Amino acid sequence: MSTISQARSIGLPLMNIVRFKGAPILHQLYLEEQLLRTSSENWCVINDGTNIPTIVMGISGKPSELLEVRSVLQDQVPVVRRFSGGGTVIVDHGTLFVTFICNKNAVPGVQPYPQPIMSWSSTLYNEVFQGIGHFHLRENDYVFGNRKFGGNAQSITKNRWVHHTSFLWDYEARNMAYLKLPMRTPKYRLARDHEEFVCRMKDFLSREAFIDRTLKAVGTQFSVRPIQSEASSVPHDATFQHSTTMLTKQELEAALPSQSETYELQRF
Amino acid sequence: MDMQSKLTNPYFTKKCYFSSDAWVDLPVGVIVEVPLAQTGEGIAECELLKWFVQEGDEIQEFQPLCEVQSDKATMEITSRYNGRVSEILHHPGEIVKVGETLLKMVVEESSTPTMSADDKDNITFVKSDICDSSHEILLSNKDNIGGALSTPAVRNLAKQYGVNINDIHGTGKDGRVLKEDVLKYITTKGIFREPSASSQETLVEQLPIKEEKSSYTFSVDGWHYEDSTVSLRGFQRSMVKSMTMAAKVPHFHYLEEINCDALVELKAAFQSENSDPQIKHTYLPFLIKSLSMALSKHPSMNSSFNEESHEVILKGCHNIGVAMATPYGLVVPNIKKVQSLSILEVTKELSRLQQLAINNKLSTEDISGGTITLSNIGAIGGKFGSPLLNLPEVAIIAMGRIQKLPRFADDGNVYPASILNVNIGADHRVVDGATVARFCNEWKLLIEKPELLLLHMR
Repeated sequence: MSTISQARSIGLPLMNIVRFKGAPILHQLYLEEQLLRTSSENWCVINDGTNIPTIVMGISGKPSELLEVRSVLQDQVPVVRRFSGGGTVIVDHGTLFVTFICNKNAVPGVQPYPQPIMSWSSTLYNEVFQGIGHFHLRENDYVFGNRKFGGNAQSITKNRWVHHTSFLWDYEARNMAYLKLPMRTPKYRLARDHEEFVCRMKDFLSREAFIDRTLKAVGTQFSVRPIQSEASSVPHDATFQHSTTMLTKQELEAALPSQSETYELQRF
Repeated sequence: MDMQSKLTNPYFTKKCYFSSDAWVDLPVGVIVEVPLAQTGEGIAECELLKWFVQEGDEIQEFQPLCEVQSDKATMEITSRYNGRVSEILHHPGEIVKVGETLLKMVVEESSTPTMSADDKDNITFVKSDICDSSHEILLSNKDNIGGALSTPAVRNLAKQYGVNINDIHGTGKDGRVLKEDVLKYITTKGIFREPSASSQETLVEQLPIKEEKSSYTFSVDGWHYEDSTVSLRGFQRSMVKSMTMAAKVPHFHYLEEINCDALVELKAAFQSENSDPQIKHTYLPFLIKSLSMALSKHPSMNSSFNEESHEVILKGCHNIGVAMATPYGLVVPNIKKVQSLSILEVTKELSRLQQLAINNKLSTEDISGGTITLSNIGAIGGKFGSPLLNLPEVAIIAMGRIQKLPRFADDGNVYPASILNVNIGADHRVVDGATVARFCNEWKLLIEKPELLLLHMR
């Protein structure tokens, strides 16, 4: 019945796809929050690397607890506090971002709560990494074996939700020195150091292959509609009230005195 | 965690007066404590990020109240009631434990706690006159404020005998006045008047009427001939709504007979090789799995119809709902993604859902997202059912009892066959008789020749 196969693609919910390369992470986050709060369509935002190394904290992140503030100030690393929950990352051109912004009924059987959304995302990426490494969702991270290569965060509103992931396609070990060991770590980390805990996605597949496979996986559940946009410039509305902010020098300096020596000792 | 057992519904509300039933109308001006509800497995506490409302604000149902953060997610908490914020108990930046009160609200008259919209649409029932449960429902009664605690049935009993319920000493929980207390009071007071003929006996029960064990010994012949009024609440109220909507859909029914001899043998084989005492093999998991196989070939049977846009949404997952009769009413939890589960996995998941259903602990996720429904009404009785659709699904299958009936074998001899009658109800706007017939033929073939399942096994 050819009408059924036609109906199949018409019948799937629509997902707009927006792709950037090297877009600033602050602008990406501005766009995502705006789409979450003002759009009624489903979106997938993919950013292939970001232009400047930036520290991104979750919505309630406190610099004194999470960052080596002195080095951050010294090297003038930008620090952003995003609108979603979760932990701290330092992102750069080696980071790949994939974000889903959906209506709560967009995915059949997925309720708008953290666990179901996280679970659904892992089944999608299961398809992406089929036959590559030993991919699975471990607590809230994407891992190959027991090494993390992707971190997740979400924001859930009354009728819509955002699930965004930063993938470590590649990273520079020295950048990790700006971040403290977080107080709350996943159980599976055990006591591992950063180098022993994470791995690089580039050891498993290329950027192009990852993006292609992701788009293909999305295409099995949604009717995809690519949206044209300039590769590195993100459109945003200046009148929209963003929750994502860039921390000022003053805010970072204010965090300095609360960093006592006991924090330094913890790292060892 | 003890909280786990209380929180079956994402918006459980703790009330500060006593009630034996969650689904009750709140009288005027009740202060309701709104807790931080369970928002996901294993989350014990959240950080309160910001309030969208302040003390004194008028709130509407479903309006966002605040934003919290748990682990990786920020989430908006919405209101279940219309009302007014009377007291905010936590401030942004504070950590709130799940179950702790977030704020207090003054709830307006006759505000019924709502299930989420998803709950209402998915709790629907197969039309059935047979059920083995009963449950006393509290009627809305303004006398509930102050005075003795008791159910309306007991109050009416007291009224019939012309006694003041507040004079009666209650021996029930929290000093509640029970039927026995009223009767005891009457004996001690020497009142032997028969209940007045004009009074309304409000013996309130949910479907069906079950014989209630009663120590009611004072009427002459133990029978009552007056009409009784049942006010519908909770599951029954949503059944009215969903059945009314289902009645608007042009249904047609397709009947078929399936020979289950092979299935009976298969079940026996599963059971004899079964080393796990926790697992009990029944027919249902195989029927569910073979149904999923048939759906793969006939996806229009696993779809949903969007009236406004005239679109058929072919659902990707086979989330097969199984109607269950519980002491709390009929519920239809569904098994997710059956196409990716083995029969053993279906057996375990079915057992898990049954356990939760019996204890009234099904989660919203368990009862929503279904794409097709199976009703095993035959477990209770009956030869044929004529099911109404569980909207927005497009098909529903009622199965009668497996009966031993005489049938002709190929050689002309009569032999006893295990026969299952199925009745497939379908939405005629989406599927036609031929589609249902072909789908049913496929399913029937897999049940009658289970070895064919191996052909399609992945």
